[in-house]
Amino acid sequence: MAHSPLRRTGRAVLALLTATALISGCGSGPDDGGSSDALDAPGAEALGDGRTTVEFWHAMKGANAAAVDKLVADFNAANGGKVEVKAVYQGNYDETIAKYKASVQQKNTPALIQVYDIGTRFMVDSKQVVPMHRFVEKDGFPLADIEPNIASYYSIDGKLWSMPFNTSTPLLYLNKEAFTSAGLDPTKPPKTLTEIGELAKKLTVKDASGKTTRYGFGAAIYGWLLEQLLATDGKEYCDNGNGRQQLASKVQFDQPAAVQVAQWWADLVKNGYATNTGRKTDDAQAAFKAGTVAMHLESTSVLRGYVDAAAGKFTVLTAPYPKISDASTGGPIIGGASLWINGVGHSAAEKRAAWEFVKFAAGATPQAQWHTGTGYVPINVKAMEQIDKAWTEKYPQFRTAVDQLHALPPSVASAGCLLGVMPQARKASEDGLEAAIVGAKPADQAMKEAATGVTAAIDSYNKSVR
Amino acid sequence: MSPPLVVERSPSGATTTSGPRRERALSWLLLLPSVAVFALFIFWPLGRTLYLSTHGNDIFGAPGAYVGLDHYADMFSASFAGILATTALFTLISVLPAVLGALLVVLLLESRIRGVRVLRTAFALPFAFSVATASVVFAVIYNPAIGIANGLLGAVGVDRVDWLTDPSIALPAVGAATVWMNLGYNVLVLSAGVAAIPQEVVEAARLDGATGWRLATGITIPLLSPQLFFLVVVSTIHALQSFGQIHILTKGGPDDATSTLVYSIYERAFAYGSSDFGAASAQAVVLLLIMLACTAVQFGILERRVHYR
Amino acid sequence: MKKLRPGRIAVYVVLTLALIPVLFPVYYAFAGAVMGPGDLASYPPALVPSGLHWRNVTDVFSTVPLGRFYLNSAVQAGVITLAQVVTSILAAYAFAFLRMPARAATFALFLATLMVPWETIIIPNYLAISDWGLTRGGLTYLGLVLPFLASAFGTFLLRQAFLQFPTELRDAAVIDGCGHWRLLWRIVVPLSKPSIAAVGVYVFLSAWNQYFWPLILIRDTEYQTLQIGISQLNDAEAAQPGLILAGVALSLLPTLAVVIFGQRYIVRGLTAGALR
Repeated sequence: MAHSPLRRTGRAVLALLTATALISGCGSGPDDGGSSDALDAPGAEALGDGRTTVEFWHAMKGANAAAVDKLVADFNAANGGKVEVKAVYQGNYDETIAKYKASVQQKNTPALIQVYDIGTRFMVDSKQVVPMHRFVEKDGFPLADIEPNIASYYSIDGKLWSMPFNTSTPLLYLNKEAFTSAGLDPTKPPKTLTEIGELAKKLTVKDASGKTTRYGFGAAIYGWLLEQLLATDGKEYCDNGNGRQQLASKVQFDQPAAVQVAQWWADLVKNGYATNTGRKTDDAQAAFKAGTVAMHLESTSVLRGYVDAAAGKFTVLTAPYPKISDASTGGPIIGGASLWINGVGHSAAEKRAAWEFVKFAAGATPQAQWHTGTGYVPINVKAMEQIDKAWTEKYPQFRTAVDQLHALPPSVASAGCLLGVMPQARKASEDGLEAAIVGAKPADQAMKEAATGVTAAIDSYNKSVR
Repeated sequence: MSPPLVVERSPSGATTTSGPRRERALSWLLLLPSVAVFALFIFWPLGRTLYLSTHGNDIFGAPGAYVGLDHYADMFSASFAGILATTALFTLISVLPAVLGALLVVLLLESRIRGVRVLRTAFALPFAFSVATASVVFAVIYNPAIGIANGLLGAVGVDRVDWLTDPSIALPAVGAATVWMNLGYNVLVLSAGVAAIPQEVVEAARLDGATGWRLATGITIPLLSPQLFFLVVVSTIHALQSFGQIHILTKGGPDDATSTLVYSIYERAFAYGSSDFGAASAQAVVLLLIMLACTAVQFGILERRVHYR
Repeated sequence: MKKLRPGRIAVYVVLTLALIPVLFPVYYAFAGAVMGPGDLASYPPALVPSGLHWRNVTDVFSTVPLGRFYLNSAVQAGVITLAQVVTSILAAYAFAFLRMPARAATFALFLATLMVPWETIIIPNYLAISDWGLTRGGLTYLGLVLPFLASAFGTFLLRQAFLQFPTELRDAAVIDGCGHWRLLWRIVVPLSKPSIAAVGVYVFLSAWNQYFWPLILIRDTEYQTLQIGISQLNDAEAAQPGLILAGVALSLLPTLAVVIFGQRYIVRGLTAGALR
């Protein structure tokens, strides 16, 4: 071979690079939100005589997707063909919001979309949505029926922006047999991280050859768990009153309480009392279900799966989510996901039709069904009355979760942080926790670097929405 | 990127001066479909990538204000240096073992043993797996809680290994999965190369008393050098572009231990609600430069040692 | 019968040892596909299925539309292959047989496209394809295939093959009034079938295995390709490894059949760049 064609073309490529850089480069941005009409809430007359179709993007999979489909089918049946909701699964929450961003640019957003709690600020700043309170006011919707602690997450200055849809709260899960075989009383669950640490040591079991067969503690490196711990400690996750007074300018998961969590977790892993299964929640769940972990942090939404998987092997117990210290008085954040109605690019009929579905989904009966079908906590305070007794007896833990949620005093900390780049912030907090847990960096440095790392993204976000 | 072209014959004897007008028109007509696709989906986007790399984004990812070389300046950081180092290391540990391992297997298969065909097919089986399916299987095998890899270690009394959650092990673990994915293809290519070696050359060497190791190093390996070179070039390019196995197995973690350049481009542009197309595009330009440099180096240095027949 | 010399025994031992890690994932993909939850989701996991649990296989079909994934992948890879083969034949013919100005420069331009990694241009392509609305419904197919309808690689390989024809053939054909079009489809293409098949095999496998592009582009499960479908199954049903492996095993059947029974047909396609 005399000359490689690649070598010969090297110069041509360079020339092309320069040329194409010069000729291309006109980007098109989205319109800046449309007229004020687009974000109005039309009345029932807007539906007219025709049939209105509502595209509904959601991120529910498995049993939850089936529950969404049932909810939609019930609604469509009840509306006799006047309004038809078409539910479309879009992947997980991250994927759904990524696709939503693209759809905003292409001006073909769905009329209705389910967005996770941490996308709230972004949805507000997108200037695409009709604030939910406008519909609430138009119809005199009984807002008091919506659990106030849940509504507070999605409210800014007391105004509701989106309708809560699915909500879960965090729990401490225990393997009862692990406790009894270690001579511990499973009815006295640990209340603080320190107590978990002490028990984890006693609950860790090694076989004759020194291999660990059960770890005292195990949870996914999931930023949500840290957010919950900080909230129960009454600490704000980001500045400017959790981003609720004005746009947050930095995240605060490098504060002492958060570093303490990272250090506690890292110590447990280092001493061999906790297993590190990484960030995938599924993997940590599998470890608990396999019985190789005695204590575990997760959301209420997985309880049903745990009870089923453990049947015949061990007993799943639940306890209130632990606190960082005895002095902590707050409660966990009530997030989950909510429903948003897109105004820009949608007719009055479509907006109204979307609201009809939202109203239906938030009702007591559908929420009761939603609860039993998925394990999510009902967002309607009247829903629990409709839930059949057999179910409550089978899963008493849910009742506890709902009662706790109800008893919780709303606070800035438990309302959660509103941040445009919250998904990236959560990921960064996981980077920090992970670096500390695997021993790559000291806990304080790991959390500090992770928190500082988000600032640039926050700045550029805030700049672009101002 | 398709595999590069190793051998080119000299162009046809036809004159390159312009032909009759009809012939010229026909040639443009025939080239038009390809040229249109390249212009629309390669050259224009290439210019757009450069453009995007010098601009900011609004919250939906649409290009915003001109920011000059800011995105490039941001790359002079420890974290980006780490990404480049990870990319280089991943390329090294996924390319060399797969090529050398396949070479060993093919040489052993050539030592006149029974059942060569069955064995060759067995070694080629991983080729039936795509990156996605292979990664999913390895995800199950490596599973930290219930994976068979730790199950087997436990059975022989070895403590479990955090395959994908220990920063010092995750990259080798993903690399090993990648070696496995590439092995089948490499065995097929090298086997075809061996089959193409003229039998009389081998017989002559055998008559001279060359067997085993000496036959391999003296005759087979030199005659396989075009295939070996091809595999090194193609595997390097593929390794630099690896994405599926990282996306499925580790998502760049733990502690960024498997965050390669292409994964980083993906993460900035499409993951965690981020649509930082500007910074991602700047990294995409760096990828292009690395790829050009790598190809240039391989053709400049390695190719001189290739023995073409 | 040959004597088993120590060297020969060593060869068998080394090959067997090498075979274990190579075959294990293949074995486990299929064995795991019929393992029950008791075998997989407990610790320590089983190495051999406790029985043939076909439920995994039937459950896959009720969890994801696997048949639809197959169809989508077949359409996507099929269209890309057909289009690339045709555009490559046309361009290769022009480069090999026709006189035109700036032929070398144009050819260099083609080869230059090989130097651009797809990941470098994936963002602008994504923006353009979504901008044109090709991520909605059935238009997704168009978005999946459009950027891949031509390839310099195929053009290069086919040009190499076409250059094997004597130049006299071309001249004779033109003088006979046979015309280029007939020369191309009556003589050149039929005689180049092996090369065309090689390009086709290579293009099809690359398209079938695509990951990054379909991952970011496809919105509806209805249009999901097999590769992404399987990786999402892994994400969504992580608690059920048996179900996941059943999905993997089912998705492997065609390529596995090709490797086992059609090896000699694909080798040429795979190694087209290395040999000749």
